[in-house]
Amino acid sequence: MMPSTQDNGNSRYEAKGNNVSKLLEVKNLETRFKARNGYVYAVNGVSFSLEKGEMLGVVGESGCGKSVTMMSLIKLLPPSAEITSGEVFLDGEDISHASAKKMNYIRGVKVGMIFQDPMTSLNPFVKIGLQLAEGIMYHKKLSKEEAYRQAGIYLDLVGISNSTERLNEFPHQLSGGMRQRVMIAMALLSEPSLVIADEPTTALDVTIQAQIVELIKEIRERLNTSIIWITHDLSLLAGMVDRIVVMYSGMIVEEATLEEIYKNPQHPYTIGLLQSIPKVDASHGKRLPSIGGAPPNLFIKPTSCPFAPRCAYKIDRCEQENPQIREVRTLHEKNHHRVACWVDVEKRS
Amino acid sequence: MIKKQKHSNSSQDEQQYNLYKDAYTRLVANKLAVVGMIVLFLVFFVAIFGPYITPYDFLDQDLMARNQPPSMKHWFGTDDLGRDILSRVIYGARTAFIVAVSVTFLSLMIGIVLGSLGAYIGGKVDTFVVWLIDVFMSIPSLLLVIVINVSLKPRLVNWMDMQFLATQNEFYRNTILADFVLVFGSLALIKWPKAARIIRGQILSVKKKNYVLAAKALGVPSSRIVKKYVIPNSIGPIIVYISASLGEAMVFESAFSFLGVGVRPPIPSWGNMISDGLRVWQLYPHILAAPALVLAIVTIAYSFLGDGLNDALNPRQWK
Amino acid sequence: MGRYILHRLLRWFPTVVLILLTIYALVFFGAGDPIKLIFLRAPGDVAYDVERVEAIREEAGLNEPFLVQFGNYMWNIMHGNFGNSLVSGRSVNSMLAAAVPVTFQIGLTAIFLLTIFGTLLGVIAALNHNRWLDNLIVGFALITWGVPVFVAGPLVVVVLVLGLGMDVPYGWYGLFNPMVITPLVILSLAPMSLIIRQARAGVLEVLSEDYIRTARSKGLPRRTVVLRHILRPVLTPVVSQVGLLIIATLNNSILIERVFGLPGLGRLTETAIKDSDYPVILAIVFIFSTVVMVSNLLVDISYPLLDPRAAAKKEGDE
Repeated sequence: MMPSTQDNGNSRYEAKGNNVSKLLEVKNLETRFKARNGYVYAVNGVSFSLEKGEMLGVVGESGCGKSVTMMSLIKLLPPSAEITSGEVFLDGEDISHASAKKMNYIRGVKVGMIFQDPMTSLNPFVKIGLQLAEGIMYHKKLSKEEAYRQAGIYLDLVGISNSTERLNEFPHQLSGGMRQRVMIAMALLSEPSLVIADEPTTALDVTIQAQIVELIKEIRERLNTSIIWITHDLSLLAGMVDRIVVMYSGMIVEEATLEEIYKNPQHPYTIGLLQSIPKVDASHGKRLPSIGGAPPNLFIKPTSCPFAPRCAYKIDRCEQENPQIREVRTLHEKNHHRVACWVDVEKRS
Repeated sequence: MIKKQKHSNSSQDEQQYNLYKDAYTRLVANKLAVVGMIVLFLVFFVAIFGPYITPYDFLDQDLMARNQPPSMKHWFGTDDLGRDILSRVIYGARTAFIVAVSVTFLSLMIGIVLGSLGAYIGGKVDTFVVWLIDVFMSIPSLLLVIVINVSLKPRLVNWMDMQFLATQNEFYRNTILADFVLVFGSLALIKWPKAARIIRGQILSVKKKNYVLAAKALGVPSSRIVKKYVIPNSIGPIIVYISASLGEAMVFESAFSFLGVGVRPPIPSWGNMISDGLRVWQLYPHILAAPALVLAIVTIAYSFLGDGLNDALNPRQWK
Repeated sequence: MGRYILHRLLRWFPTVVLILLTIYALVFFGAGDPIKLIFLRAPGDVAYDVERVEAIREEAGLNEPFLVQFGNYMWNIMHGNFGNSLVSGRSVNSMLAAAVPVTFQIGLTAIFLLTIFGTLLGVIAALNHNRWLDNLIVGFALITWGVPVFVAGPLVVVVLVLGLGMDVPYGWYGLFNPMVITPLVILSLAPMSLIIRQARAGVLEVLSEDYIRTARSKGLPRRTVVLRHILRPVLTPVVSQVGLLIIATLNNSILIERVFGLPGLGRLTETAIKDSDYPVILAIVFIFSTVVMVSNLLVDISYPLLDPRAAAKKEGDE
């Protein structure tokens, strides 16, 4: 395995693919939050890219920075947040220093967001129709009638019956599953090139969860939208996403295709995650494996591998230097597989 | 079993203690609230030691020196009877505090009794208490107090005169006391519903809490439940009530004496001093300005403190 | 909704009767004999003739037992007759007709203006949370909250007239005369403080809600987010305060009308109290209680109008 410099992943991409097909490129993003006594370093040097029409899964435990990373792309952060470095390219254009007006345009037209809790993400005082239509009315200068018509079409698309009546209703008149469908319709209405779904099914019943997953898969096929799906549940992404990014303590620790992650995981954390998924055919009475130790302290910027304290494979170097990203040999030679680890787990196990 | 309970109780005690310590820290961090507290302590101090530090007695009239503007001899000047205004203002502080404290105490007592009766016994008693609270709260308070004072005072004075004639006891000559009692009584009558509501609300909400149900299931006697759970939880709202009520009572009292109802001259109350001052303000503004400014400062101080207390005891997440 | 209003009115009626009864009783059993008082107040050296007093009392029906008198009184009220002033002999109705419009005009205008300005200031403060503008507005609100109207009023008048040389703001010249500005402002200060703080707290709460994040994620301009997504939720708590304010303003009018020479309900109350003119007092109690009830009712009705979730619950009830 040839070690390479941190930023190298991208340059490799540039050599192999062509820039035009890349929808999103993120380079070395860093975000922190001001707390009463110091800073919380939520994102510590994240780089990745997304092709057009691709579906990317972002997985990691609570607090690993997966949401903050994506929200930093469109600068949808609370006032205490500060993006300290990094570049974001959307459709080849640098939006890291975009004006507020430009950012509003991007949020309204190019990027759609689906949030986690449908019960609180809709304004209880405003009718569904208006909440759906207001975005395109403002950004695409549609008339009220046109916008509402468009909203109705998308409500049908997400599987809500009686769409015209629904437009006139308030959020509390809909169930949780339906509200999430409304959120999905809202995200898609402006026909964005990128949809970021932040744990869209976490707050829903398992049965509804399955429906929503199916819905999003269907939509992706129909509209060819690029989707970033954030979740803490690795098993959810199976059969759905093209690639997976595993995050820990504000950094990407592994990135590969779905198949690679499942069949050839290289980072100890990923391995731990996979092991802890309950299996239907596991033997009776055995304990469910879990990853020992506690979540990292985000008040300090990591200078060594943040996962080291919990890692079964660690060596001395892990506690001294932050691992740099390196390429890993893949099973099929055509796709990239990157990991941030000093240890070659295959040799160890 | 008992050991475990003790342990959990003490850690909850610790938590309670820390809660108030937290609140205290927050309170003193609020600069405005601290300013308010200092001002109020000053006034409180003056109220208590007032008569001993006044340069003149508030009754002393010096007809040769009427309506004098502020000077070295009379820091706030004199009024139309030659009385030293500073002394009267200081004595007014006394009036204000006596009324505020008594009314608050009285209304709190009534409120606690009725509120807890309703909350504990429940059922018809509770319904009655709630109805009583509602009726009292919908009575126009200002009017009620005024009417009570106007209608009952002559009666009370009469009654006291008769008592004096009958028993020759000096106590009944003290019409000033009659004044005060009427003022306390009527003010307490309009304030107790708020206290009762708070107490009742607290008891009801604590009653429903899971830890109380758990304690009951474990067989903890009611008296213990009250001591360990109900009382500590009620202290916060009671403190807020007390601080608000002291300020309110003070304002009410001065409003009533302003209208000529309540504490009568020659007993100085800031309210009646302002009312007097209104007659001659164009010529002698200091007669009006002195008590008015003092009352303004005190009420502003209360405002700061009350807001600070509220924030300290009920912190918001977005602060 | 209609049934709800009717229900409330029915509940209000016995409460008002009870209040009137209490006040009537207090005055009846407490106050001095009003006829005697009239005599004692008459100018000059009018002889206190016991027989004459008795005759007048008989005529005025003042010798009947208490409940009969009260019954008569209630009967008259239901016919819209509040009786005659014991002092001037004028019909109470005419006195009210002259006084009530003044107070209501000033009071309602004050409430209207202070609600709008108060909400505006509260929203501005919240949107500038923890910066100097926020602190300024909150400080201003706290200062104006504590000071009672009968303190602020005279102090301001002293400053304006003696300090700035303006004319004395005294007398009623109609709602559109500049003289009305000073009392209007004084009357508005304390209530506005409450609205400012309520609106500010409301906005700060809403700002941390998820649906605001959703609105921002659609790239909506700030103006739209504030007007459409923030203001609506905040209206409910603000309006609930306005109900309280109506009563407070009415009370304050009693204290302040003397200072500014306004011949309104407050002034009437003051003089009636001083003269023990109890038909007037009772009529005023009636008006106050009615105002209390009406404003409570209005506030209650406003909830389902402003909050769609409350509207759903209401429908569930009916």
